[in-house]
Amino acid sequence: MDRLGTFALMLGLVLAVYGLVASVIGARRDRPLLVESARTTAFSLLAVVAAANGAMLAAILSNDFSIRYVAENSSRATPTFFKVLSLWSADEGSLLLWNLVLAGYIAAVAFRFRRRKPETFPWAMAVMYMVSAFYLVLVLGPTRPFATLVSAPVDGRGPLPLLQNHPLMAAHPPFLYLGFIGLTVPFAFAMAALISGTLSDRWIRITRRWTLAAWIFLTVGLLLGALWSYGVLGWGGYWAWDPVENIALLPWLMATAFLHSVMIQERRGMLKVWNLSLIVGAFALTTFGTFLTRGSILSSVHAFAQSLVGPMYLGFLVVILIGGFGGIAAQAWRLRSQGRFDSALSRESAFLGNNILLLGLTFVVLLGTIFPLVVEALTDRQSTVGGPYFKQTTVPLFLLLLFLMGIGPVLPWRAATPEQARRRITVPVAAGAATMVLLAAMGMRNLAAVAGFGMAAFVLVANGGEVVRGMRAFARARRRRVLRSILEAVARNPRMYGGYLVHLGVAVAIIAIISSTSFARQTEVTLALGQETSFAGYTLRYEGQHVLQQPQRQVLVADVTVSRDGRPLGRVRPSLNLYPGASEPIGTPSIKYGVLKDLYSSVLGFEGDAGGRATFRFFLNPGVMWLWVGGGTMALGGLLAAWPGRRRVLLPEPPIRQRQLVGVKEGR
Amino acid sequence: MNGTSPGSMARHPSGLDAAPGRRRRRNRWVALGAVLGGVALLTLLLSFGLSRDPTVIRSALIGRPAPDFALRNLDGSGTVRLSDLRGQVVVINFWASWCADCRIEHSNLAGAWQRYRDRGMVLLGVAFQDRPSASRAYLAELGGDWPQLSDPSSRTALAYGVYGVPETFVIGPDGRVAFKQIGAVSYDRLSEQITSLLPEPSS
Amino acid sequence: MREIGRGEVGHPDAKRPGRRFAVGSLVLAFALLAAGGALGFVAARGPMTPANMSDRVRAVAVTLRCPVCQNLTVADSPSRLAQEMRATIARDLAAGRTPAEIRQGFVRAYGQWILESPPKRGIDLAAWIAPVLLVLGGLAAAAWAVWRWSAQGLTGRASVGAGEEPDQVLTSADRSLLERALAGTKEETE
Repeated sequence: MDRLGTFALMLGLVLAVYGLVASVIGARRDRPLLVESARTTAFSLLAVVAAANGAMLAAILSNDFSIRYVAENSSRATPTFFKVLSLWSADEGSLLLWNLVLAGYIAAVAFRFRRRKPETFPWAMAVMYMVSAFYLVLVLGPTRPFATLVSAPVDGRGPLPLLQNHPLMAAHPPFLYLGFIGLTVPFAFAMAALISGTLSDRWIRITRRWTLAAWIFLTVGLLLGALWSYGVLGWGGYWAWDPVENIALLPWLMATAFLHSVMIQERRGMLKVWNLSLIVGAFALTTFGTFLTRGSILSSVHAFAQSLVGPMYLGFLVVILIGGFGGIAAQAWRLRSQGRFDSALSRESAFLGNNILLLGLTFVVLLGTIFPLVVEALTDRQSTVGGPYFKQTTVPLFLLLLFLMGIGPVLPWRAATPEQARRRITVPVAAGAATMVLLAAMGMRNLAAVAGFGMAAFVLVANGGEVVRGMRAFARARRRRVLRSILEAVARNPRMYGGYLVHLGVAVAIIAIISSTSFARQTEVTLALGQETSFAGYTLRYEGQHVLQQPQRQVLVADVTVSRDGRPLGRVRPSLNLYPGASEPIGTPSIKYGVLKDLYSSVLGFEGDAGGRATFRFFLNPGVMWLWVGGGTMALGGLLAAWPGRRRVLLPEPPIRQRQLVGVKEGR
Repeated sequence: MNGTSPGSMARHPSGLDAAPGRRRRRNRWVALGAVLGGVALLTLLLSFGLSRDPTVIRSALIGRPAPDFALRNLDGSGTVRLSDLRGQVVVINFWASWCADCRIEHSNLAGAWQRYRDRGMVLLGVAFQDRPSASRAYLAELGGDWPQLSDPSSRTALAYGVYGVPETFVIGPDGRVAFKQIGAVSYDRLSEQITSLLPEPSS
Repeated sequence: MREIGRGEVGHPDAKRPGRRFAVGSLVLAFALLAAGGALGFVAARGPMTPANMSDRVRAVAVTLRCPVCQNLTVADSPSRLAQEMRATIARDLAAGRTPAEIRQGFVRAYGQWILESPPKRGIDLAAWIAPVLLVLGGLAAAAWAVWRWSAQGLTGRASVGAGEEPDQVLTSADRSLLERALAGTKEETE
């Protein structure tokens, strides 16, 4: 299996290099046949990388412990489901998956443009093949997932306990990878535009859906990560501002900014340099993020020390940054704005503000993540930048962003008259103000929470109001029934309504985040057998402990009955898992999910024989459910926005270059 | 951000592009320089990041007075107070029965204890987050007759900034922390630290 | 932007758009004022001071980093060391030590590393100032850009004719849109 895997990866590298060379020569010498052969190479590349992944999977499933990766990350006792997950539960294997996803995207692009190829296509393929070649070198050189052991152990070590505790580990990394790697496509087309000098807006039109797809995957991946953290780590929260989480958030913020600002370029022919910079930045951030975690720059769950991985990533990052931003700097003088703003009171202005704030957020999160490194480099002193810093710095930015999220949709493109703007903004502002006044009157003393709830109400009413307004106008114009007109209105303009839906989802998620972080209650208590404690209106009684012997671990389960005002509400069963390889037990929380609040329990330890005393932590987390609802709504909104509208994008375009020149000459 | 041309100039058909074009071309070199400079700085920073181990927390106690403590022996026989040991080199080793590296370093500690116990060095073992019964079983198995202390609720470990075991502190005769080893300590390293702190036999 | 308010013709205010605008603006101003007042009121009252011991412990524990965890605060971490740190904080608070003193004690043992937020002095101040400067600078630059771009638009319009409705002026953006439409390449628009 190891030979097959390594051979497949080598073949993959050959294919990627061939694709790269053929694309470049095909583009430079204008040889359609060569470009076509580079295109079809993508399918072969996908096949061989899939074969390498299959070889690893087969080795894991057949307990082939002669392969080091299998010996270190799987064991005979590991259940089959978690064996499959072992494929990406450690670094070497996850790079295999990374390669697979990348090859998949390249093949998808190759398939998408099988008939009509935009001018930038060969260059974009070349860029993607280059990225693919880098990652293939990474798995063939320094990481070597198929490295073998001189003598195969009888049994493997099994996956890291934390990673085999929850089925969500199945979905979280693949979704994040789909998101991260998906940004390669818009990056490749942007680079292709820079390289070929075809600097029209076409790369944006071509890649809008690809970017949106990556954004949806990132959103879902972040959400699943939060769910996993909440359901596994047992500290009652879902986001700890860990570097690993931050580096997943960074490209998401940047892609969000990009998805807004491209609309200004599409409509007004402005912000061209800006948009190129955003997509190069987003892609560079995904590379930077993987470098930070995989190159063991920052301590993190995934950190691993391998001598060559870090320097190679660093080299790749430098190539991307110099190639991307250097290319933009070199071409910027040709990228002239064709349009202008008609009024400061317009959606364009709101989008510009949104971009500044999203970039500010990106900067803050990035700065906080690498600041300890900067301080240590300059003063040789170790320091920490953690949750409290990120909360203090990002909350004001998020509040301002929410404000614009309500303003943007109610302002029309181009120009609004003050009267028009006033008419559309009054009701949402009144809703937000009423919320704030009400909460203040109720005695809420958390300033960020009052402001946040008010802003969320403002966003909900503003975006909801726009949806209603648009549909009513549609129904009136067509004299149709309500439901039908809703569907038709949405079908006519899925992009716009998708955007509103995302905004509504954000507002819901924000409400959930504020309530769960500002109004959670918790207690830590040690209970003897049969002892009760009351917490937040609940009565919790420790009934006893039982032990589950599972093949790969021993589970100590605490039985706790929950009741409220004498009414039984069932049980929670937090547990401690003892793995043979782990020094400390790993806890698994038990959660009673509710629409308005979750009762979250974890057990910290047992004392005495048969769990005579147990120490628990109980949390009452209000509103967490709505984070999943809001996040899901955001992903749905993204899907809706990606849905092809009635008027499809017309791809056959007359020669762009010519028209561009005409535009420049005539324009100004 | 996006550079725009000055409107009035651009609108003139005759003055088209000439002046701004040249300026833009000059700006290009400025922009390229900025990109290169930024990337160079980032590369420097990240290369520094690659050169260090992020999992090691360096002790803030080096060169400062060692926090005093009074801890009972594991067998309950008596109390050891650090301030009573002033004038001697004190080696404090935090360990636990569940820790694999502690087993590795145990013989090194035993060797140092044998060699320096009569030359002005005191070795103290402190059990960290361990059940007393497990600690005693561990000592019975591996041997060693230097004082072993118990640290209920880890007060002393917290005062010393312990974040994992094994960790070993070497305290000079002046009562200041001279050295901290994170992870298993080698005999040579320990011996080197102790001899550098012990008073010269002649003086 | 071309939407005409329903029933505008029959509405008594329709004949006096100026007055209607004034009333509407008054409502909006009142709402904004109310929101500002509510926020000011909450800010003036200040955050709740932790009443019981567990809240006081938590207030200190959230500012400290758990030494054995992945980026969790002492307040959040389920690890045994964090439990013991919380117990230490509770004991010290009960003994009358202030939160600042307790934090200082942990810094003595673990170094600055143990504090979750960089202090607002020295080089660490940069972590607090840089975001503020950058965002304010960015917003100012954006405001300036919008002003300049739209001011240009206004001058362009003025040169066509001051009395004309904006809609009837073919701005450069319209022209480029039109060009595209004529070339048969009109992309989807909203």
